[in-house]
Amino acid sequence: MSMGTVWALLGAALSALLAGAGSAIGVGKAGQAAAGVITEDPSLFSKVLILQLLPGTQGIYGLLIAFITLTNIGIMGGSADMSVQKGMLYFAACLPMAVVGLISAICQAKAAVASIGLVAKKPDQFGKAMILPAMVETYAILALLVSILSIFGVSALA
Amino acid sequence: MAVMPMKRMTIIAMRRDRKQLLEFLQRQGTAEIDTDTEEDGRYKKIDVSAQKQIFEKNIHSMEDALEVLERFDPQKKGLLSSLEGRKTLTVEEFGRALTKRDEVLETVSCINSLYREYAQSLAAVPKAQMDKEALYPWKDFDLPLDFTGTRLTTSFIGTLTGRTNLEEIYVCLGELCDFSDQVDVRIISADDTSTAVMFTTLRTHERELSEVLHRMNFTKAPSQSRAVEDGVSLAPAKAIERIDAQMQRASARRQQLVSEIKGYGDRRDDIRLIIDYFRMRSDKYDVIGKLNQSDHVVIIHGYVPEADYSKLSRALEARFDLACEFADPAPDEDVPVKLRNNAFASPVEGVVKSYSLPGKGEIDPSMPVSLFYYIFFGLMLSDAAYGIIIATVCGVLLKKFKNMEEGMKRTFQMFFYCGIATTVVGFIFGSFFGDVVSSVAQTFFNVPKDAAARLLPPIWFNPLDDPIKMLTFCFAVGLIHLFTGLGILMYQDIKNGKPRDAVYDGLFWYMFVGGCVVLLLCLPMITGMLGLTFTLGAGVKKISSIVAIIGFTGIVLFAGRDSKNWGKRLAKGLYGAYGITSYLSDVLSYSRLLALGLATSVISSVFNTMAGMVGGAMPLVAGVIMYALIFVIGHILNLAINALGAYVHTNRLQYVEFFGKFYNGGGREFTPFEEKTKYYKVKEEI
Repeated sequence: MSMGTVWALLGAALSALLAGAGSAIGVGKAGQAAAGVITEDPSLFSKVLILQLLPGTQGIYGLLIAFITLTNIGIMGGSADMSVQKGMLYFAACLPMAVVGLISAICQAKAAVASIGLVAKKPDQFGKAMILPAMVETYAILALLVSILSIFGVSALA
Repeated sequence: MAVMPMKRMTIIAMRRDRKQLLEFLQRQGTAEIDTDTEEDGRYKKIDVSAQKQIFEKNIHSMEDALEVLERFDPQKKGLLSSLEGRKTLTVEEFGRALTKRDEVLETVSCINSLYREYAQSLAAVPKAQMDKEALYPWKDFDLPLDFTGTRLTTSFIGTLTGRTNLEEIYVCLGELCDFSDQVDVRIISADDTSTAVMFTTLRTHERELSEVLHRMNFTKAPSQSRAVEDGVSLAPAKAIERIDAQMQRASARRQQLVSEIKGYGDRRDDIRLIIDYFRMRSDKYDVIGKLNQSDHVVIIHGYVPEADYSKLSRALEARFDLACEFADPAPDEDVPVKLRNNAFASPVEGVVKSYSLPGKGEIDPSMPVSLFYYIFFGLMLSDAAYGIIIATVCGVLLKKFKNMEEGMKRTFQMFFYCGIATTVVGFIFGSFFGDVVSSVAQTFFNVPKDAAARLLPPIWFNPLDDPIKMLTFCFAVGLIHLFTGLGILMYQDIKNGKPRDAVYDGLFWYMFVGGCVVLLLCLPMITGMLGLTFTLGAGVKKISSIVAIIGFTGIVLFAGRDSKNWGKRLAKGLYGAYGITSYLSDVLSYSRLLALGLATSVISSVFNTMAGMVGGAMPLVAGVIMYALIFVIGHILNLAINALGAYVHTNRLQYVEFFGKFYNGGGREFTPFEEKTKYYKVKEEI
């Protein structure tokens, strides 16, 4: 086994780790706010639940990047051997999702908490309340896209 | 696809008819009634708060009664009972049911007073319990606790703190007084916290002993009202028996109360109906209080959709002595907005509404929104099996609960169409529970990987194999979406008699953006990057650059046309042309279609692979079971999280990218005076 695999696995682990940690923080924060709203009005449960889940997607994207990296480098069966350069390329490819996933999940949670407050006061404005945190997610999606395309690109290299 | 045209309604009616008239309008639910008209000298508003209060009080006590019934005689409710919708009654049925009103109110007060008695009886239980516990140390004592002695002797009955015995007590007495040999001490019971004792001595020592006992921290036994019967004190054991008997009687009474309350369980529907009746009346009085009326005449202003007014006017004139007039609203009036669409587009009216209803001069965007909504949702969820699940669930619910409330129905209809789109997209891109077909074939049928992958081939291509192709496709779809928005803007301008604006704000942008796009496609670098195989000739390049330049010039010249000063105007125009960057970011935003689509299929295959690894390593039966288990849990999770993502981001693409091009909203919702009831609705055909 060469250092290349180590670098690639490090990238995969970081993307699952950082993005997952970000989502955990985010969903936790939003969950606290949501629980507060439900004490006042239990009928808002389904609405605040959706808002709570919004910062949860980064963790999924992180998992996704980790998984396609793992399958591509042959950790999940197949031969796990590659050059150091290629391993580092995989590492770099995972970074956008790892870093942006962490930060955007936390920032999205802040918007989600504010939106949960909005829904508590004006339940009929749910549509707008949902869009505000979703704007933050755009950047996580862009990072996801760059990571996916990079990994596919790297694996196509010799 | 339309905003329904409205008519301005004015009704002048006899005051004596006002209640029947409003009831009729309420049942029809087609007219919005103005409630902020101003009083003038002759026409005044009347105060109805007293009546309203009575209705509210009645509603309140009836709801209490329903809660009580629900507590003691819970009704089995299906998981989906909230989808059933309100039951419809005819006016005659409703009228017949109303004759039971007073009887129902009586029943309600009966239920409430039964419950009050029950609650009071229950509240007395802990007190009785405490009394009983206080008597326990004395239960073997044969005298009443308030016994104070005979003619010659005096007795003190009470407790000393802590566990103690005769020896200690006598030692203590000896220390504190000199007549301890003339005191009889009898210990009745003792536990760790206290000792129950009776001291008896001669009358002559009464005062001294009392003082001594005080210093020994002696507490007199509680004198208990429950231990008295017909003025005679009972011995503790008797008193305990008596409390037990009382408690038993109370508990029997409570049981009787419960069964009596349960006996009213079948009156629930009647109570619900009368609640609705009072709610309607309360709403009606709300409106009455806001109408201008003189001694004999009442005036009602409001709006009615054009489609309903002739029928309504005929029905009104046939039923009442009144004059009604329906006129076209003045151009500057704040006319309420009601949308009407065909079955395909109406489900997304809610999506439009939660952004904002169309403002003045704007068209109802529901039709284009619906088309793109379903497509985008499909592209983001992009799994045939998930689509089939969503469409089937929604379809079955819609079929089973025909009487579903309107809002709920539309949501299900929307997801039904979304599900169909998802199914189609899933087959086009070859995703059915991710790659379950190939995964099962490999795990259980030992099909080699390559052959397994060919079992369910995509109709077009698999985005996992060629993500760039999919990305290009998403950008193209996005561009169509944006251009549709621009087209609606032009249509609106032309419809509002501003064809020049249509050219300046619409056509020039088409030329500029469209020209730039074609120009970009002429560059080999771009086509290479996007994986396109065609090459455009030099002629196309020339034409597209000319078109783009015309568009650009037009924007620079006219985007700042509000300014009189040409320098300022050109500066504004240049800034307007800079808006091309927003087109760039808008188009890039559609990459989420690819990203979320990939997310669904990759996570599906993660679960399939996990299931395959676990299931393949076991003997066949156990393997199948484990495979199924991981498969079901994993896919439920994936479906939930990705359906949420698809829903949120479809909304975002509509609200931000699409509506940003043409739609401001700001319309006021049409809120007809109707039956805002909870359980029943009354229908009257006209």
